[in-house]
Amino acid sequence: MKILLVDDDRVARRIHSILLRAQGHEVVEAADGALAWQLVVESDISFVVSDWVMPNLAGVDLCRRIRAAALDRYVYVILCTSKGAKTDLIEGMDAGADDFLVKPVGPDELRVKVRAGERVLNLQQGLAQKNDELARTNQQLQSSHKLLEDDLKAAAWMQQRLLPPPALEANGLRCHWRFEPSGYVAGDIFNFFAMDEREVGFYLLDVSGHGVPAAMLSVTLSMILKPDASRGSPLRRLNRATQLSEILSPGDAIRELNRRFQTKDDRYFTMIYGLFDTSSSILRIAQAGHPGPVLIGKNGHPEILGTGGMPVGLWNEIDFDCLEVPVKAGDRLLLYSDGVTECINRKGKAFGEQRLLAYLAGASQSLDQLLEGLLEEIRNWRDGVESRDDVSLLAIERNAEPAQ
Amino acid sequence: MRFEERKIGDVFVAKVLESRIAADIAARFKSDLIEYVTNGHRKFVLDLSEITFIDSSGLGALIASLKVIGDDGEIALCGAREAVASMFKLTRMNKVFRMFNTPEEAAAALF
Repeated sequence: MKILLVDDDRVARRIHSILLRAQGHEVVEAADGALAWQLVVESDISFVVSDWVMPNLAGVDLCRRIRAAALDRYVYVILCTSKGAKTDLIEGMDAGADDFLVKPVGPDELRVKVRAGERVLNLQQGLAQKNDELARTNQQLQSSHKLLEDDLKAAAWMQQRLLPPPALEANGLRCHWRFEPSGYVAGDIFNFFAMDEREVGFYLLDVSGHGVPAAMLSVTLSMILKPDASRGSPLRRLNRATQLSEILSPGDAIRELNRRFQTKDDRYFTMIYGLFDTSSSILRIAQAGHPGPVLIGKNGHPEILGTGGMPVGLWNEIDFDCLEVPVKAGDRLLLYSDGVTECINRKGKAFGEQRLLAYLAGASQSLDQLLEGLLEEIRNWRDGVESRDDVSLLAIERNAEPAQ
Repeated sequence: MRFEERKIGDVFVAKVLESRIAADIAARFKSDLIEYVTNGHRKFVLDLSEITFIDSSGLGALIASLKVIGDDGEIALCGAREAVASMFKLTRMNKVFRMFNTPEEAAAALF
C-alpha cells in the first residue's frame, strides 16, 4: 500500500519510513503539511500518517482539508501526537482523523495501526466498487424498462386505432364507446359497423387472462371480425347456390369463430355479438359467456338480456344460441366488460350488476354523457384503488325514425 | 397453492385454501390440479367454499385440468359461493362440471 508519511522531523521521518518499507509498504515522504496536501490532491494516495505539529499546515488541519475536499476516494488518516491528551484526541476526531499514534511510535504499534487502517480502506474500496456496479445495473434496468414501455405504448396506440370512430351512426343506430385498458394494452376489444343497407353488426369481446398475450389475440380477432365478405370474415358465408355472400346469424357466426379459434392452451374469450335489422326492428344477440347487455327501454327499467352461454375457444362443435328482442326508437343498449361489474372499492366490494342497473335507470342524458357519467361512478367507487381489469363500454341507441 | 386434502369414503376431496384465484396464481392452480390427475386421481371432488373470486385465468386453469383428465374422469365441484356460482352460470360451466352444495353430496355422486 502507498503511504504518505508527513513529518517535519527528518530523523523521525527516516525511522518511520524504514519501518513501513520493511512492512512491505511504498512510502512517499513530505516534510510539511502544505506539500502533503498537494500530494494528496495530485496523486491517488489513500493512506496518510501525519505528525500533528508542523509548519505551513498542521497535521490536524491537513486532516480537515482532506475531509472537506470532494476527493474521488476515501483517505485514511493517522495523526501522531506527542502528548496523547484527551483534548487532542477529541480535536483530532472532530477533524476527521481515523486513528492516533502517540510519540515515540514503536514499530509494533505502527504496524498494527497501519494494518487496521488497511482493512478499513479495503472495506471502503469494496463498497465503492459495489456501489458503482449497482449504479451501472440500475442504469441498464432503467434503459430496458424504457424500451419495454415504449414498445407497450406503441402497441397500445395500434390497438386504439382498431376501435371505431368516437361517434358513429349506421342505418339509424348511433354508437358511443369508452375504452380503458388496465395496463397499456387490453384483452378487450369491440366494434360497430353496417353489414349492408339493412343490418348493423356490433360486438364486444374479452380475452381471458391479461397483458400482451390477451391483447394480441384481441387484435387478431378485431382484424378478422369484419363486415365485408372479401376477407374471409367469420361473420359472412358464401352461399354456393346463389354465389352471394350471406350474413350469418349471430349464433352461426360465433359457431364459426369457435371452430377457427380452438386454442391448444387455456385461452378463450367471451363475446356478445349483435345484429340489428333496421327493417324488422329486431335485434338478434348471441352471448358467449359474456355478461348480458343491458337494454334500456325509453320508458322502462333497464333489463339485462340473456342467461349466459359458453365462451369461445374451449370446445369444438358448440352451438351458440341467439335471442331476439325488438328495439324501438329511443331504446338504448349497453355492452360492457366485466371490468365494470367486478371493479372493487377500498373495502373489497364489487361494483356489481345492481349498481350498474341503478345508474342506468336514472341516466337520461345523451348517450355520450351516460358513458362519461358511468365512468365517473366507477372511478368514485374505486376511490383510488388500482383498476385490475380492462373497462370497455359500447353504447348503442336507436334514433327516431328518419322521415323518408 | 394450498389445499386441504381428505377422503370421504374412497373419494378424494381437495379443498382450495385460497380466496382469490386470479391471474397471478392461476398457473400454480392449474399445475397443482394437473398434478392430482397425474398422481392417479381421475375422479375427485374440488371444494371451492373458500373462494370468493375467480377470474378468467382461474376458470381457464380449471378447464385445462378437466381436459387433461379426459372422458373417463371427473372433477366434481362443491361449495361454490355467489360470485363463483354466477360466473359459472354465465359461462355455462355448470353444464360442464357437476356442482353440489357439500363435499359429502359431491363424493356420493362420484362413488
